[in-house]
This record gives sequence, C-alpha cells and structure tokens, in this order.
Amino acid sequence: MSGNCPAPATRKFIMRVFLSSVFFISVLIVWFAVSQFGWVNPFLLPSPQRVWSTFQTLLGNGKLAQHVGVSLGRVAAGYIIAVFLSLIVSLAMVTWKGFARVLDPPLEFLRQIPPLALMPLLMLWLGIGETQKIGIIILACFFPIFLSFRGGFAQVDPKLLDVGRAAGFGRLELMRRIAIPAALPAIFVGLRVGLGYGWRALVGAELIASAAGLGYMILDAQDLARTDIVLVGVLVIGVIGLLADTGLKMLVRWRFPWLRQEMEMPRV
Amino acid sequence: MSELRAVHHGYPLPDGRRRSVLQGIDLRLEKGGFYVMLGRSGCGKSTLLRLMAGLEKPDHGTFEHSGDSVGVVFQEPRLMPWLTVAQNAGFLLQSRLSQAEIEARVELALQTVGLSDVRDAWPNQLSGGMAQRVAIARALVGRPSLLLMDEPFGALDAFTRKQMQDDLVRIWCKLHQTIVFVTHDLEEAVRLGQTVLVIDEGRFSLRLDLDAPYPRSGAESAVNHVRERLLNQLFT
Repeated sequence: MSGNCPAPATRKFIMRVFLSSVFFISVLIVWFAVSQFGWVNPFLLPSPQRVWSTFQTLLGNGKLAQHVGVSLGRVAAGYIIAVFLSLIVSLAMVTWKGFARVLDPPLEFLRQIPPLALMPLLMLWLGIGETQKIGIIILACFFPIFLSFRGGFAQVDPKLLDVGRAAGFGRLELMRRIAIPAALPAIFVGLRVGLGYGWRALVGAELIASAAGLGYMILDAQDLARTDIVLVGVLVIGVIGLLADTGLKMLVRWRFPWLRQEMEMPRV
Repeated sequence: MSELRAVHHGYPLPDGRRRSVLQGIDLRLEKGGFYVMLGRSGCGKSTLLRLMAGLEKPDHGTFEHSGDSVGVVFQEPRLMPWLTVAQNAGFLLQSRLSQAEIEARVELALQTVGLSDVRDAWPNQLSGGMAQRVAIARALVGRPSLLLMDEPFGALDAFTRKQMQDDLVRIWCKLHQTIVFVTHDLEEAVRLGQTVLVIDEGRFSLRLDLDAPYPRSGAESAVNHVRERLLNQLFT
C-alpha cells in the first residue's frame, strides 16, 4: 500500500504548488463565471477564453515576443544599473561617514519624489530614447535596493566584525568577508522589492515615444479600446515578475542555502 | 612571553566625563601558563581582554606580545551563519595559507574539539556547546601562542560547561598555548587556572598560583585552600 503513496517530500511539494495556485484558480473560476453569465460588460472585462485567444494570436504573430523582449531589456538594464549604483553608493557611505553626511539629505530628498514626476525633466535632459526609459526604471529600482544595502550594512552585528578585527583583518577584508555576507539577507529582500518596482515603473517608462514594449502595448490597446490586449499585457507582466522573483529565490536557495529562512518579506 | 605594563583604560560617559575601568594593570604572562581572571561583572576583565586582543587601544600603558598570533574566543560563539562548521573553523586562515594547509589544520582542530562528524553542518544546526567548540577550533587553527577566552562557557548549561572545561584542559595539556581565561565563576576559576587573578575596581587585588593536577576535584586541599582565599577576597 505504502508503495503507491508519494514520498513525504513529493507530497509536500504537490501541496505547496496546490496552495500557491489556489488563489489564481479561484480568480479564474470567478472571472469565467462573471463573463459566462454576463454580469459584467464584455467590453470592460472580456472572457478568459477571449484573452487566451488574443494571447495566442499575439504569440503567433511574434508581436508579444517582440514587446516582451524590449521590456525585458529595459527592466534588466535599469535593474542592473540600479543594483550597481546602490552597491557603490552604499559601500562608499558605509566606509566614509563624511560622504554619508553629504549625500544623505539629497538622496532622502530625491527618494520622496515619484520617478514619474521626474519624467518631464528626464525627457528634456535625456531625450525620448532608451536612456530616458531606462532612467525611469533606475529611479524606481534604486531606492528600495539602495536602502536594503544600507540597512543590511548598518545591521551587521559588530560582534562578528570583532572576530575579524581580532584576527587582524583590514577594512577591505572586513567588508568583503564579513559585512557583505552578513548584509545579504536584507540585500536580497531589497533586490526582490526592487525588481518588482522595476516592472511597476515599466508602463510609465514606456508611456512616451515608445514603439515597442509591454507598457506601450498596454497603452496602445487602451487607446484602441482593446481590453483583451490590455489584460494580456498585464498578465504577462505579472507572470514575468513572478518568474523573475521565483528565479531569484531559487538562485538564493542554490547558492546561499543558509539564507532560505531570511528571504521572506517579513524580515524587512 | 606577553606583558601588560601600567595599563589604564576608560569609557566616555554621556555627560562627557570618563569612567575609568582599568587603573594600572601590570601582568607578565609566562609562556604556556593558564591564567584565569576572576571578578564581578563590570570590574574590567573583559575590557582587559579586548585590549589584549587589539580590539581597543589603552588610554595609557602597553600590551606587548612576542608570539606570532593571538586567538580569541568570545562569550558567544560568533560563528558566521553563512559558513559551515569546517568553513567557520578555517575562516581566519583563508587568503593566508594554501587550501590544502587550511584543510589539514581545520581537520586537526575539529578532531581536537570532537566535531569532525559535523564539519558540513550549519551554525543554526548546532547546540550551544557545539557552536562554542567550533569557536574554539577557529581560534586554534591559527596556532596562536596566546589564546584569550572571554567567559566562553558563560551561556552554557552546567553539564555542557563541565564537559567544555574538561575539553579545554585536555586541549591545553596537548597544545600548551598561553591561555588567559576570563570568568566570574569561582568554581570555574579553581577548576581551570594555574594562576588565578582577581580583578577589583580595575586593578588586580589578588594573585594565587594553583599547582594541582587536572582534572581537579573540589575535595583537594590545594583547590580548597585557593577557593577559601578567593571567597574571602570576593565576599569580604
């Protein structure tokens, strides 16, 4: 009898996948019912079948792949630059207190301004090409990532640093071998939050003078009153975001197994 | 040989004044000796150890150590949570020795503290006693000529503490480094120390040499004698 039962680990995995899917399946059922019984105007909320059919058409004619490719490139570029900048600035601020005192007020000032509010200025300064779009994504990603870097470094247990100091570690060695690994839990949470912010800023970034990208596709569909394409764009962004977040978590589980418990959002 | 000369040290208070913690410490540590510093909380014994570890600089006076390196074991294990037991044990050697040499030293240190079988475990999978043994292994792999231990067994239960004390004596008998062991536990002091130094108000108020064999039982007359004198010193 027991030979037919899945192993506890497999059962646990199946249960986890099922629980993770419950919400999405429920929404799909409600959506299906709402459109099937005509409770909502199909112009405002097209049926799941219609959205699926539109998705297949966009996939088939290659337009979706083109939009996804362009958006992925923008988010990836903005995200990578934001991570790099966050690392450099936070390390400099941790290392040189004077630098932190000089830079803290302007950064705090800038943090309060929504990236989209800066769009007109960015258009004037950077033009309406890729630089402006990536600039918006950098602004959206930078602060959550930067704050997680700073918070992570600030929370490094000084007792761990003492272990290195007592062994004669220099400043760089303390940073490389103790401070950065110790800050990783907070940093990874910031990386996850920042990635989400990048996707959220995408539509805004592709608002002006775009000819491709998921944000452009959504806004163009809105102008054409194609709610089905809008929904395809929204769902694709959600799925890509979910996959990227899962990928980041899997990377952590693989490369940093001790961080598994620390990756959860409540740690923020 | 290591020597503390006229060491004074203090900490700034919020009102701007300075609280003096150590007020003229002189001590010559003979090679291979087991020194126990005993005193109440806040008497300055941990501060003295931090000065010897190079974590703070004394306001006045000097600490000189002629040996090659100093190992430190803190009150808490302070293991790096991102490293396994073996990686933690070899943590302070990385980038100083070849990987093969580190491996060999780590293996030996883990054998010495009885943890070879958990070399791939993570720190959060260890008991308090095991974690502290890893901390001792980490201090031993550098083959320090001076080992500083700041109440290393203070947070352990009575059974584990007794076991760790016996293990430490065994390790010391084998390796014969100079050990400076800080504690506020009188029984621990007489169980471990060859020389027991009482610190009171930032000064050594008593020094007793205890030449009794290990493992020590409380019934031995030499141990009893030292215990009585320490009790008199600390509680009168």
